[in-house]
Amino acid sequence: MSRHHQDTLSESLSAGGVGSRHPQVAGTRRDFLAGLAGSCAACALGTAGGRRAEGAPAGPQVLADRRFHFKAGELHPQPARWYEKLPESWVRCGLCPHGCRISEDERGTCGTRENRGGKLFTLIHSRPCSIALDPVEKKPFFHVLPGSEALSLATPGCNLWCKACQNWEIAQARPEQIPTTTLTPADAARLARLNGAPLIACTYTEPVIASEYVHDIAVAGQGLGVRTVMVSNGYIQEEPLRDLAQVIAAYKVDLKGFDPAFFKQHCGGQLEAVLETLRRLRKLGLWTEIVALIIPTQNDSVAEIRGLARFVRDDLGAEVPVHFTRFHPAYRLANLPSTPVATLDRCRDVAMDEGLKFVYVGNVPGHPGEHTYCPDCGEVIIRRLGMAVVRNRLRRGACPDCGRAIPGIWT
Amino acid sequence: MTVDGDRRRSVSARARGVVAVDRDRRRTVSALAAGAVAASPLARATEVFLPGPPPGPASAPSRPVVAVARRPGLLGQRSAFDPGRLADGLGAALSRATGETSPVDGLRRLFKPTDVVGIKVNTLGGVGVSARPEVALKLANWLQAAGVSADRILIWDRSDRELRAAGYEIGTKHGVRVEGTNEDWDRNLTEWGPSASRFARVMVDELTAVISLGRLKDHGLAGVTLSLKNWYGVVHNPNKLHADSCAPYVPHLVAHPLIHDKLRLSVVDGSEGQCHGGPGHAPNWAWPYDGFLASTDPVALDAVGWRILDERRKEVGLKPVKDEDREPRYIAGAARLGLGVDDPARIEVVDV
Repeated sequence: MSRHHQDTLSESLSAGGVGSRHPQVAGTRRDFLAGLAGSCAACALGTAGGRRAEGAPAGPQVLADRRFHFKAGELHPQPARWYEKLPESWVRCGLCPHGCRISEDERGTCGTRENRGGKLFTLIHSRPCSIALDPVEKKPFFHVLPGSEALSLATPGCNLWCKACQNWEIAQARPEQIPTTTLTPADAARLARLNGAPLIACTYTEPVIASEYVHDIAVAGQGLGVRTVMVSNGYIQEEPLRDLAQVIAAYKVDLKGFDPAFFKQHCGGQLEAVLETLRRLRKLGLWTEIVALIIPTQNDSVAEIRGLARFVRDDLGAEVPVHFTRFHPAYRLANLPSTPVATLDRCRDVAMDEGLKFVYVGNVPGHPGEHTYCPDCGEVIIRRLGMAVVRNRLRRGACPDCGRAIPGIWT
Repeated sequence: MTVDGDRRRSVSARARGVVAVDRDRRRTVSALAAGAVAASPLARATEVFLPGPPPGPASAPSRPVVAVARRPGLLGQRSAFDPGRLADGLGAALSRATGETSPVDGLRRLFKPTDVVGIKVNTLGGVGVSARPEVALKLANWLQAAGVSADRILIWDRSDRELRAAGYEIGTKHGVRVEGTNEDWDRNLTEWGPSASRFARVMVDELTAVISLGRLKDHGLAGVTLSLKNWYGVVHNPNKLHADSCAPYVPHLVAHPLIHDKLRLSVVDGSEGQCHGGPGHAPNWAWPYDGFLASTDPVALDAVGWRILDERRKEVGLKPVKDEDREPRYIAGAARLGLGVDDPARIEVVDV
């Protein structure tokens, strides 16, 4: 799941004007979502004034008379894809590298895919637990439609269990444990469209485990001119990745560390599987950005960062954006301090020294590493402050000063 | 310093991998098992094994007892219990496991009237392969006879849905409460061993003593699921705890004071066993074992249950679970953490 601080649900709620730092407070979330659903497009864009009082009538620009009712304890199984049947009514899930063998009535590691009668079902299709409008920079995508809004959706659960998880209340839960609502793929696309969002971001938790839903959202969005992006840990097998790559626009991978032992201990997975996903994304030609959450004393050594940078340069290409983001104490690492800015500076220096062209610093508003610079002439092309684009000088996908092409999705 | 506090620290230290040398502790725990008050007349009864660190040579107690009570014909037509055989078999197992002459005396020895007692049943797998309600209710009845009032007894598992599917009636129809956790998790995250979970709120706020009531069955990932693994049902994230045959997780979870300090008795419903295809119901691998297993040592109980399942597997031409790369290593891990004894040579298996 995403543990990037910029893409935590708590910040979404804050952006929505509620100000809560606790995403699991259902009432607070419900208030915000009711406000979102009941607001006009302009009001829903993350301003305090955009929040409507609970019970207020829905605005005319929102899905006709649509209100979201969140309720916990419910399961809505839908047939899953990407699995194989085994003897004795067992199944093997083919979605992520865990490859869970699941007996009847049991679930896989993600807690969202259940064997019922020898068939695998997903319990989270069309059942988001979080809906918000965020700037795309919050994901963070810095090379995808800068300054755009993304309708951001999350479904419960994750296939990893990172100790630094920022959204653990929803990511480390089973679907029936937290309130969810019904939002079909078609309605998600319409909701984005009605709120002026050109993007739908599947984020906050781990969209890989909701791949059926993500796929169907992306297909529905195509018909309305809404593109879908994934904010993911990249822990996915090849076949579902290929299927998703045909319909989504961009994929952000949380590369949570570059030491296999760290990855296994802190996240419960195999680092190589994520690296392989990144290589596959390159072969598939899908726009990819990488986030590396830097945790003090855990994954911040120069050797590790240099290894990461060399991998990106040699296996993916020097123009793949890499975001080094600041850790804040959370979940099972609440005892650690926030990442010193000097550490992030060092990471950026090392990565650029290795030849990467677009290296950013995240979660440090006002840091010069938030801007997009032209790799050739060094001028600032896109100036940012936190999640806001202050000035975008990009001209037809190129530097306005020297004409160098800047990779990304700009239109 | 209270006895309870001492135990909490010792177990916590072990759970953290800290070597805690406490040879006198065995005597302390034995005294606790013998009625919590050394001066109690009950202290004269046969020594009862309770989970704790392995004894030192100078203070070695008797070996843990696992009582096995088999009653041919326990299940009659349509798998209905024969009431007489149920009471006789379960009663004999409890009596021997607790070192008393009757199940009520045995439960009186382990539970005080002031306790709030939870009987954690394992109902995953539906009516065919869950701990049966008749067994849980019989335990509850005897608990009441032992002085624990009905309103202080809870039969529970993860959800009402699973309980109903296993044949339980939700509510207080039988005097005691029967209900699921139903997502009523403690708000706080509890760190334990290699993981962290939200515990069922009743485990944190209500229950002072618990009984594990599992089923004699195979588990396709863990090897077997009997009494120890039953405790996966009291945390919110069991799906995150099945890697590596559950070996890194079960011992540390059961070692947590929220479970360890409350666990007095473990029982396995072996009316019908299932030697393969678990934890879901696989009727083709089920057989009438016609018995019950009981012990105050959950590790010894699981070690014996594992052996019974492997013997059945051999009878029907299956390899031992170890040879299918799913040895229940969590049992040995639990022994290493001091939660009980897994060495067959040190377990007294008593057929009653």
